[in-house]
Amino acid sequence: MTTLNGQPLNTHVPGHDADTSITRDGFKVTVRKLPILKAGPVEDMTQKLGITPPEMIFGDNLARIEHPQNGWNIEFNAFDALDRVDKTGASMLKVSYSKEWQKNRQKQFEEIKEVVKPFDWSYSTDYKGTTSGTPSFEPTEKPIPIQLLMRRDPILFYDEVMLYEDELADNGIAMLSCKIRVMAQRMLLLSRFFMRLDGVLFRIRDTRVYVEFETGEVIREYTAREEKYDTVRKAVPGSPEDVLAIMRDPNQLFAYVPIVEKSLDRAVIK
Amino acid sequence: MSIGGSDLDKAIAQLRACRPIPENQVRELCYKARELLIEEGNVVGVDAPVTICGDIHGQFHDLMELFRVGGDVPDTNYLFMGDFVDRGFYSLESFLLLLCLKVRYPDRITLIRGNHESRQITTVYGFYDECVRKYGSANVWRYCCDVFDFLALGALVTGAATSLSPTEGPLAENAEAMPDIDADIEIETLNSAGEVMFRYARNSDSQTSESSQTLGSSPARPDPTPTRVGAAGTGASGSSNGTSRNEGGAVLCVHGGLSPLIDTIDKIRLLDRKQEVPHEGAMCDLLWSDPDDIDGWGLSPRGAGFLFGGDIVKRFNHNNDISLIARAHQLVMEGFKEMFDNTIVTVWSAPNYCYRCGNVAAILELGEDGSNAGFQRRSNGDRGGGGGGWVLGSNDGTSTRNSTDNLRLPEGPGRRYRVFEAAPQDSRGMPAKKPVADYFL
Repeated sequence: MTTLNGQPLNTHVPGHDADTSITRDGFKVTVRKLPILKAGPVEDMTQKLGITPPEMIFGDNLARIEHPQNGWNIEFNAFDALDRVDKTGASMLKVSYSKEWQKNRQKQFEEIKEVVKPFDWSYSTDYKGTTSGTPSFEPTEKPIPIQLLMRRDPILFYDEVMLYEDELADNGIAMLSCKIRVMAQRMLLLSRFFMRLDGVLFRIRDTRVYVEFETGEVIREYTAREEKYDTVRKAVPGSPEDVLAIMRDPNQLFAYVPIVEKSLDRAVIK
Repeated sequence: MSIGGSDLDKAIAQLRACRPIPENQVRELCYKARELLIEEGNVVGVDAPVTICGDIHGQFHDLMELFRVGGDVPDTNYLFMGDFVDRGFYSLESFLLLLCLKVRYPDRITLIRGNHESRQITTVYGFYDECVRKYGSANVWRYCCDVFDFLALGALVTGAATSLSPTEGPLAENAEAMPDIDADIEIETLNSAGEVMFRYARNSDSQTSESSQTLGSSPARPDPTPTRVGAAGTGASGSSNGTSRNEGGAVLCVHGGLSPLIDTIDKIRLLDRKQEVPHEGAMCDLLWSDPDDIDGWGLSPRGAGFLFGGDIVKRFNHNNDISLIARAHQLVMEGFKEMFDNTIVTVWSAPNYCYRCGNVAAILELGEDGSNAGFQRRSNGDRGGGGGGWVLGSNDGTSTRNSTDNLRLPEGPGRRYRVFEAAPQDSRGMPAKKPVADYFL
């Protein structure tokens, strides 16, 4: 027996409208935003995943691009992203003061040595979205046409949605979120995993999905960036306050966190 | 200038309006607060009735909502379990208001230290930046950090009633079936309008009566050797040790949790707390550790920090004559979460955490023993021995070293949780946050 809570509670917060969507040339774009999961659903998810979910888990949220006529879609949700997190502990990071802590601990508590449920608690994921229907993505050399996205075409639909976030027990931040903008002729979705483990490491893993409505061409680009914390800290110019601000903002970190992995694939939905 | 009497009331009024007070007043306030806090022990003694609150994290308008729901200082006696600052936009106003109230009504509000009340953490998570932004220098941040070093590490609530006098409020729309009003009310959950959402009588479900039977009856014990279990001389038992009484054990309040270095409350009292939160050791553990569904102690997969299981809590509570540990530190979606057969509870008081989680918050009210006439707990034999076989406050039982099954745990206090949502957006003085379209690439 664990809880005796006075359920059920209505946690719906004003301003959280669940679904927003727009349809362009047969492509339907949907964003769903709801509060973090409550205890019951979190326990379900823990069981299904086999790991403890992040502290803030927006398990009902999603961003989806679908082509209903062809039965094709790509969706971004927290569960599928977390299902790709290492559950074995093989790629487990350690907080910056771990060595010092362990040394002192071993002197006093030799009998406490079991690491509880080891897994990649930084929630690093290489999630590129969940796809269903045909055609499936095929590798390509064709990049996303950045110049077309740099044009200031009016934005018809814009939204951002958080999928999960964890403060790494006050050792930094790990978050996965999506942004979508839809213009008259094309759209871009950016799913970004950002992780800063203070004193240890930065990771930025972006999945971009570009859709050209008229041709039905979908290009997906995955870019993983990684760099040691100290290297970034030394490279970032400015006062200590500026450095702290930059280290919270993935957009400003691009220059200091190099690409370690990249892939491109493509599908044409017509 | 000095900050006393009417100046203090002026400062309180100004902070209640969410306007920072001048730097020289902050300096004076922090000086006064330090003088006051230095006199407090590492474990502050608090008499029930008291309202226990978890993390605030600079969500000033939600702190105002908390006071609206729980009553104002000094009418309500408050205990805040740390993490006043960081993450929210108004750490400064929130912490300074709580500090002003502490100086103005020292006996009506208790502040203990959270892991965010630290120089290192506040430079990363927002409080430092906020001070620099609002004052143009880091002076105020320094004054506040000096106060952090003097905050107590825990509190011990004594004199809490074991049952609640049922709230005479209306029932909430979605309220569940209520136990008989004459029953011994252990838990009540109210919404922010004061409507009863949930009421729970002691021993009213099978799980609870089962555990009571285990506690109350005398099953064959694997190891009959009497071990020292009373922790006589700890503040937890104090003068009431050995005397039969109606109240349950004391309630220990701490921000994070237990430490393998701490098996008695007296060991907390012996720590030298007047320092920055260290990266290891007992003081660090008290502010950082978390309960988990494990046996014994475990190491966090992060490579630092302890996790502790239900057996650890039960043994600690038993040895220190504690009926409940109240702690904060972890976000819980329902505002509170009881674990390990109601021997520990996490209380979270920051609704819609970080302005985007959509969670509710809670505060925990403990009533005063004896004040609820007619509802005092007496052992009775009506329930087939459930609760009948054990005398509260009697510590001369036996226990085994490796099993907590047979530990006699003091009866828990009656617990009233008031659950509340985030303050309305328009009271924040800023527009609801809508994503602004940007040409991201």
